[in-house]
Amino acid sequence: MESVTGLLARWLHLVSSILVVGGAATLLLAGPSDRPTARRWEAWILRGCWTFVLVALASALIAVAAQAALLEGRAGAALEPAALARFLLQTQGGTVWLVRGGLLILLAAFLAVRLEVRDRTDWRAARGEVALLGLLALGLIAGASHAAAVEPGTAAAIAADVLHLAAAGVWVGGLAPLALLLHLASREAGADARPYAVLAARRFSRAALAVVLVLIASGSWNTWLQVGSVSALLGTPHGRLLVGKLAVFAAMLVLAVTNRRLIPRLSRAAEIGRPAMQRLGRLVIGEAALALVVMGLVAVMSVTPPARHAEPTWPLSFRYSLDNLVAAPDLKSQVLVGSQVAVLGLVAVVASWLLPWLRLAVAAVGVAVVVAGLAVAVPPLVSDAYPTTFQRPATPYHASSIADGRAIFTQRCAVCHGERGAGDGPAAASLNPRPPDLRAHHVALHTAGDIFWWITRGKPPMPAFGETLGADARWNVVNYVRALSAADAARLLGPTVQPDKAWLVAPDFNFAVGPTPPRALKDYRGRKIVLLVLYTLPASRPRLVQLAENQGLLGTLDVEIIAVPTDAAPDAIRRLGADPPLFFPVVTDGAREIVDTYRMFSPAPHAEFLIDRQGYLRAIAAASDDATRDPNLLVAEVQQLNTEKTPPPPPAEHVH
Amino acid sequence: MRAWKVVLLLNLALVLGVSWGYLWWGRQARTLQRDLAAARVAAATTGEREYHVTGVVRAGLEDLGLLVVTHGEIPGYMPAMTMGFRTASPKIVESVKVGDAVRFTLRGTPPNLAITAIEKTAP
Repeated sequence: MESVTGLLARWLHLVSSILVVGGAATLLLAGPSDRPTARRWEAWILRGCWTFVLVALASALIAVAAQAALLEGRAGAALEPAALARFLLQTQGGTVWLVRGGLLILLAAFLAVRLEVRDRTDWRAARGEVALLGLLALGLIAGASHAAAVEPGTAAAIAADVLHLAAAGVWVGGLAPLALLLHLASREAGADARPYAVLAARRFSRAALAVVLVLIASGSWNTWLQVGSVSALLGTPHGRLLVGKLAVFAAMLVLAVTNRRLIPRLSRAAEIGRPAMQRLGRLVIGEAALALVVMGLVAVMSVTPPARHAEPTWPLSFRYSLDNLVAAPDLKSQVLVGSQVAVLGLVAVVASWLLPWLRLAVAAVGVAVVVAGLAVAVPPLVSDAYPTTFQRPATPYHASSIADGRAIFTQRCAVCHGERGAGDGPAAASLNPRPPDLRAHHVALHTAGDIFWWITRGKPPMPAFGETLGADARWNVVNYVRALSAADAARLLGPTVQPDKAWLVAPDFNFAVGPTPPRALKDYRGRKIVLLVLYTLPASRPRLVQLAENQGLLGTLDVEIIAVPTDAAPDAIRRLGADPPLFFPVVTDGAREIVDTYRMFSPAPHAEFLIDRQGYLRAIAAASDDATRDPNLLVAEVQQLNTEKTPPPPPAEHVH
Repeated sequence: MRAWKVVLLLNLALVLGVSWGYLWWGRQARTLQRDLAAARVAAATTGEREYHVTGVVRAGLEDLGLLVVTHGEIPGYMPAMTMGFRTASPKIVESVKVGDAVRFTLRGTPPNLAITAIEKTAP
């Protein structure tokens, strides 16, 4: 974990980098002036920029040292030149710090040189250069941020982050300089700069509106990339920090709207204008103070793992799920009607803005209609939820996990749930409520995390297993229960491929042929169609010979045959004999788990599973099917897979 | 000198510096890649090579002097696959049966390799 010093340094660095950009941008917006107070303000801003560049450089040094210490895993490394050099020269983050440091040094040197800027062009060039170098140094932070780790689409993610940083620099960084100008002009001695201050505030306000829109757009895109779901937003540290940041940002927006309303009052008579100017100055300082909080949250977020890659702990006891409608289609009309009423109300609210009269009344009616519509539409969507509801299984959907889960299930669960999860165990009759059929369709509506929670905490009369089973063991049971449900659904699959319908994930497995290194089903993903053949000698021999004869043809169609003996004999290849020779992989190691898992999907002594390139189970043929007698039928199914125009996306590693 | 000229020169220098650095880095990377590719080709093609490979016998074609083996990756030469290899002597084909787990020596100048020795690793 990042040290407090490192975090403070990051915060200070961000704040000073943003202030440099904001100072230069506000100067550019306000334009040159010959009023003494305005000149004084400009001198202050330039000196401030120079100071903040130095602060940014110093805090960068501390942040780099802290990061080197974190990388090396010991605090002492922060002061070792070798460790620092390793970090700076050999990591992308280090290179970005180096380049930004170079830009900041260049900027400090540029600010230290006194240039003659009486001419407008010269003035613009000189101030613009400060803004340009500052923006470059600030924007490059994106190159070492979470955005740089997004894949694919790294360039787009970095571009959005650069925009976000630049927009923050112009708006947030410009608040303090603007407040300073308003303060100077509102004093007795600063009366000469009042028209200039009003002009500056107006221009800043106009620019800020556009910049805030950029900030919101790029921020929304970043949120989609880094968080991506409500569960990640509410359930992870990174997501919750973002919620905090958004709350403070909303407060800033409220202040900004208030300030925008004050601006017309500035240009009235000097007597009225001055108090307004003072008030605006104070409010802008308030906005800037909130911005400091936002930047503190950003500094912490930048060292917190992105929400999308963290396991969320769901904070609420309910969730909304559209899947509820699949289970209960009669609720569909209720939800549809309710949502349409709500949309109608929303339209009324928006339309009320355009009305010349009765604005408030129409808006109130609209809000009431929205509430009523939601009250009808939302309740059917509510499901129970638990802290682990949105967690992904810690163990992948793999034959070895399913086999382990099956062993635990047989030992601890089958007495009530039944050997196959049908709810027909010997002890089931005495229970109230009776154990449900785990293979039923409604089980698929619960998330893997729901089932994990029930196994961990119990669901009376079911006892809790959190104390007696480790987390991985419980996830393995979840995978087994999911496989039970999937195997039940697999009855819908026949020996022919249903075009463009891929929905049943083939459990992954490891296998080895003789002493060769183990391979996995997943290795074929995106490359080949796999025909998994579970065979039993001697009945399967004619079919195996037939497959061997057609292996060349199937190979040209991108099919890999993997043969698995149902007796899981380690000398399977020898038993198949030398005549005729069979060259496709025959599993000699790992067969037991594959057979146990895939027999759930088809218990026949000879069964063939056609798995498409994305890893979905597409057809299952047993010995009794014609498909396992005529090789042309198999070729036809493979051709069907090869002509599918829209390959389905590969399934997730884990069940959901 | 006028300030805008100073700024223009500074930016020009910055752009030149960055592009020079980028080009230098790109050339360096290309040179390294070329060297690596050349070294790989040299390693793969020149001179006689010897590989020690484990696998399982799938078929022995005595008439052709070929042994078909499912083998693991042969680093620097071939990924894991089922493949027929020439044998240096007919005895090698005779000495093993289908299903035997074996360790064998491949020798020759790629792609002209032959199995020169073989032993069973499991009964």
